[in-house]
Amino acid sequence: MTTTHSPRYDEMLPAYAVGALDGNELRELEAHLETGCPACGEQLALWQGDLEELAASVPPVAPSAETRGRILRLTGAGRPVRRAPRLRWLALPAAALLVLALWGVVRQARLGGEVERLRSERSRLERQVAELDRELGLARAESQRMAATLAILSTPGARTIRLAGLDPVPGAIGETFVEPQNGRAVFWAFHLPAPEPGKTYQLWWIGDQGPVSAGTFDVDAQGRGRVEVARVDRPDAIQECAVTIEPAGGVPQPTGAMVLKG
Amino acid sequence: MRRIAAGDGEALSQVFDLHSPVVLGLLVRILGRRSEAEEILQEVFLQIWTQADRYDPERATPRGWMLMLARSRALDQLRRRNASQRRDETVADAEARWEGPVGTARLEASERHGRIASALGVLTPEQRHCIELAFFEGLTHTQIADRLHAPLGTVKSRILLGMGKLRQALSTS
Repeated sequence: MTTTHSPRYDEMLPAYAVGALDGNELRELEAHLETGCPACGEQLALWQGDLEELAASVPPVAPSAETRGRILRLTGAGRPVRRAPRLRWLALPAAALLVLALWGVVRQARLGGEVERLRSERSRLERQVAELDRELGLARAESQRMAATLAILSTPGARTIRLAGLDPVPGAIGETFVEPQNGRAVFWAFHLPAPEPGKTYQLWWIGDQGPVSAGTFDVDAQGRGRVEVARVDRPDAIQECAVTIEPAGGVPQPTGAMVLKG
Repeated sequence: MRRIAAGDGEALSQVFDLHSPVVLGLLVRILGRRSEAEEILQEVFLQIWTQADRYDPERATPRGWMLMLARSRALDQLRRRNASQRRDETVADAEARWEGPVGTARLEASERHGRIASALGVLTPEQRHCIELAFFEGLTHTQIADRLHAPLGTVKSRILLGMGKLRQALSTS
């Protein structure tokens, strides 16, 4: 495609200006015009000037008041000046900065809210983990206790001593499991109320030489208490078991009310 | 146009009052329907409002630029609808509704009409018809030849010669 001006283009320009040129001629001229041919540009402007006269020669028609009002409303033309021309060059950067600033504020607020939410979530999860740890520890301890009890019960010759509740806790019960070979023993109490402040429950082995302390215990929220004895002296000598209420820390010999016996 | 590009609504209002009758006249001439022409007029002035910064004073006068915008939009609209339903409102009807700025504007339009009419008078009816089909109806050489059942070369010659005569007549008037 040539970029050199040619008289051939001069002949195409009037038809191009009036919109009649088509086909290959149109493509050829448009390609040439895109090269910025000054001669064609000048001629084209002249032809378009002539056609402006032709266009403007039509009888004028006044727009309706509705159309005028609609256009001026849509364009805001009722206002004298939409924006100050001298400051126009500042408008775009200023708008961009404003948008950025607003975005920053919103983002900061969102981030702040998000951080606060995450902190709260972290605290909640930490509490949950601590609670699970506590429950896990309790479960492990319970498991160990049950394992110890089962180990005693599964030993041949193991004895079970059942204790019944006395006044003032007639509903309480207790069980002692004694393994004679190694002298291991475990005691479980159920349905015991919490002792008064400064008091504790104390378990006694009762044999032919009188009561011997097996240890003190407290009860949990379900009224359960437990005493585990790694080695009992003379397990065969245990004839009975009893639980009394004693001062905190226990006493060498029972002094308080007996609540379980068996 | 600089003021409009700067967002001066008052400038747009002035341009509208000054040029909209001629622009609407062209739209009515092309579309034949007054209501449709007013819709396109609205689009044209919205385009002027939003794209005034694209106006190039070296390529056209403000009025010429607006008229070319209007012609382009009107021809697009014309192609979208059935040309056989055109002109349910005649140009004469539209002209009878002239209520715009009288005096200078109308006198100028009248003088221009007389001037171009005089220039067009030197054209043969066939040359004038071909130019009007191209300019007001957006038909190309080939389409005009089909419409008139005339050889393509003849149509090209009529337009080339007619445009040349128009140029000469306008330059001497």
